[in-house]
Amino acid sequence: MKKIILAVVMMGSAIFTNAQKIVIKGSDTVLPLAQKEAEVFMKKNAGKSVTVIGGGSGVGISALLDNSTDIAMSSRKIKMDERMKLQDAGRAYKEVIIANDALSVIVNPGNKVSNLTRAQLEGIFTGKIKNWKEVGGDDLQIVVYSRETSSGTYEFFKEHVMNRKNYASSVLNMPATGAIIQSVSQTKGAIGYVGLAYVTKEVKDIAVSYDGKTFVLATIENAKNKTYPVVRPLYFYYPTSKEAAIKPYLDFIMSTEGQKIVDQVGYIGLK
Amino acid sequence: MKKQILGLLLMTGLMSNGSIYAQEVPVEDTIPATVAIIRQELDVLKRIKVTGYLQTQFQYGDSTGSAVYSGGAFGAGIDKRFMIRRGRVKFQYDAPLNDKGISTSQYVLQFDVTEKGLTIKDAYAKLTDKWIGWFSLTAGMQNRPFGFEIPYSSSLRESPERGRMSQILFPGERDLGAMITIQGPKTSNWNWLKLEAGLFNGNGAPGAGASVADFDKQKDFIGHISAIRNNKSETVKYGLGVSYYSGGYRIDVDSIYNISTDAAGNMGYMLANITHTIDLIGIGTREYTKRQYIGADGQLNIDWKPGMTVLRAEYIQGEQPASRSSSASPNSNQAITSNLYNRNFNGAYFYFLQSIMQSPWQVIAKYDWYDPNTDVTGNEIGTTVVNGLVKTNATDLKYTTIGLGLAYRWDANVKLTAYYDMVTNETSNKLSGYTKDLKDNSFTLRMQVKF
Repeated sequence: MKKIILAVVMMGSAIFTNAQKIVIKGSDTVLPLAQKEAEVFMKKNAGKSVTVIGGGSGVGISALLDNSTDIAMSSRKIKMDERMKLQDAGRAYKEVIIANDALSVIVNPGNKVSNLTRAQLEGIFTGKIKNWKEVGGDDLQIVVYSRETSSGTYEFFKEHVMNRKNYASSVLNMPATGAIIQSVSQTKGAIGYVGLAYVTKEVKDIAVSYDGKTFVLATIENAKNKTYPVVRPLYFYYPTSKEAAIKPYLDFIMSTEGQKIVDQVGYIGLK
Repeated sequence: MKKQILGLLLMTGLMSNGSIYAQEVPVEDTIPATVAIIRQELDVLKRIKVTGYLQTQFQYGDSTGSAVYSGGAFGAGIDKRFMIRRGRVKFQYDAPLNDKGISTSQYVLQFDVTEKGLTIKDAYAKLTDKWIGWFSLTAGMQNRPFGFEIPYSSSLRESPERGRMSQILFPGERDLGAMITIQGPKTSNWNWLKLEAGLFNGNGAPGAGASVADFDKQKDFIGHISAIRNNKSETVKYGLGVSYYSGGYRIDVDSIYNISTDAAGNMGYMLANITHTIDLIGIGTREYTKRQYIGADGQLNIDWKPGMTVLRAEYIQGEQPASRSSSASPNSNQAITSNLYNRNFNGAYFYFLQSIMQSPWQVIAKYDWYDPNTDVTGNEIGTTVVNGLVKTNATDLKYTTIGLGLAYRWDANVKLTAYYDMVTNETSNKLSGYTKDLKDNSFTLRMQVKF
């Protein structure tokens, strides 16, 4: 009988342990930040567990809708259709901006082009500019990489850089940001866009100009002093019903220590 | 007992972290391959969707046997009832995306299972062009592309039923036919604009156990063009649409009546000139009635501090051939065999929906009217006419309905709705039984479970 009681207690303990778990799904852009914050948070709070899963902003908000996540990460604001679905499901939610992010335009390190205007970027991603020689580079076909349509970065880039024009049908849609870094690093004529935190030495960062005169590289400093133009807020959306459970983690991110991590990982802190 | 304890311990171990397997199998080596296999299998499963909903309800009518439009007339001597209003199960298969990111085909089958029996609601195949994804062809039993309320799912609609106008003009909502849809893909800047146009049998979708086979060679055209936009901050969504219906059905009777005036100036039905005797001509050469509607619809959704506000409106007018006792559109595999009456009609509905901030509560207010015969009004209806005219009757009365309700979203699957329909009919002192408003209000308490 004692053994039965012990087994039941252990089972209860396992269930209780699961109850301390926070699941976060969504934006690949926010993922490295949420992951790093989670690592430090878990070290400081024994017994708390935070699991972070990517897939894109749309995936995160869908998960919020079907109650399979505690927090949805998003690199774009929630859409009207998504608000309507949440409302229809009777799911009250809250929005928090946890950091800002500079969107970097990257090319292969072997590419001699270092500066591009917004209009040139629009031309490249809409397919009007097809060869690097049209923008001062070598006679080389441009291979354009983008994120999938469920990505908030995909939509932000379309809205703010491409003036809401359509991506060319030849654009290669990648399932994750890491795949864009890898493809651009391995393809000589490649171009893509990623969150600043993802930029590695294997790719070359492009200086961007919106006025055609001043070209600025995506750096934390340039984003903070607002000289770099392609900056966006990063969001957490969570059900109001789960506010108490996620509050310690959220408070940690918004704390001075949490915001320091934001800068360390390559994002732009709010403080 | 020992085995039971061991089993419990094993289960406990599995629930905690799966460490039993971790000690014996080099999981790290197999994870990528396993994930790839699971992804492939998931991808196949994600293409097949099974969804559905069940609406069970209790209704209380103002009087026994009243002819309400909130779920069908009460039976004789009945003013309270439990019913399964809708029991839907939908199976949908979407073909995998091609190299352009387009799913080029779709298969849909939807059943309705209630205490009345089993009905096929949707049975259609949809093909989408494989090059740009703008053009689709949908063939089979499907929603008629007219206005907003007809194709809008009953699981989403806030009021328990569509307006009286929608139910009379488009019984069963669906029809057999083929429709072309032109709409840019979601990634297109033109995705907000949609054109749907198709040819349909025109005899609707009768309920359980009834055949939907067509009875004539006439095919009806239905078209709808709509535009839906959001503001830049995605807090306001608005839509506008225009619809057109042009059709009719075979005339299998000798007597066709049109509205006219007698020598005394009273409105009644006059027998149209008869050009032939039906019995003497072949079924393939008979004439066809004219059934023509035009409509406009608009929707506005605003997400603001008091909660989501939704406004919807639709207006339809046109010509409707029907029988003396009903102005309803055909809804069977048989032509009308009683005399035909042509009427000019109009109707409209208005929704006001207000969610209470982000709470699960939603206030519902709806107003609709349906005037089956806009040429006569009030005491003109039922007036005795001379010169061989036939007098108008109760079928020509206008009805207005105010519906008030409260919905509670229990969770993402369950919605509870309490709703009261206040129906007012046009009265006429020339029409026995209709000199005052009928007692045909009704209360509906509904539970919907959706998956």
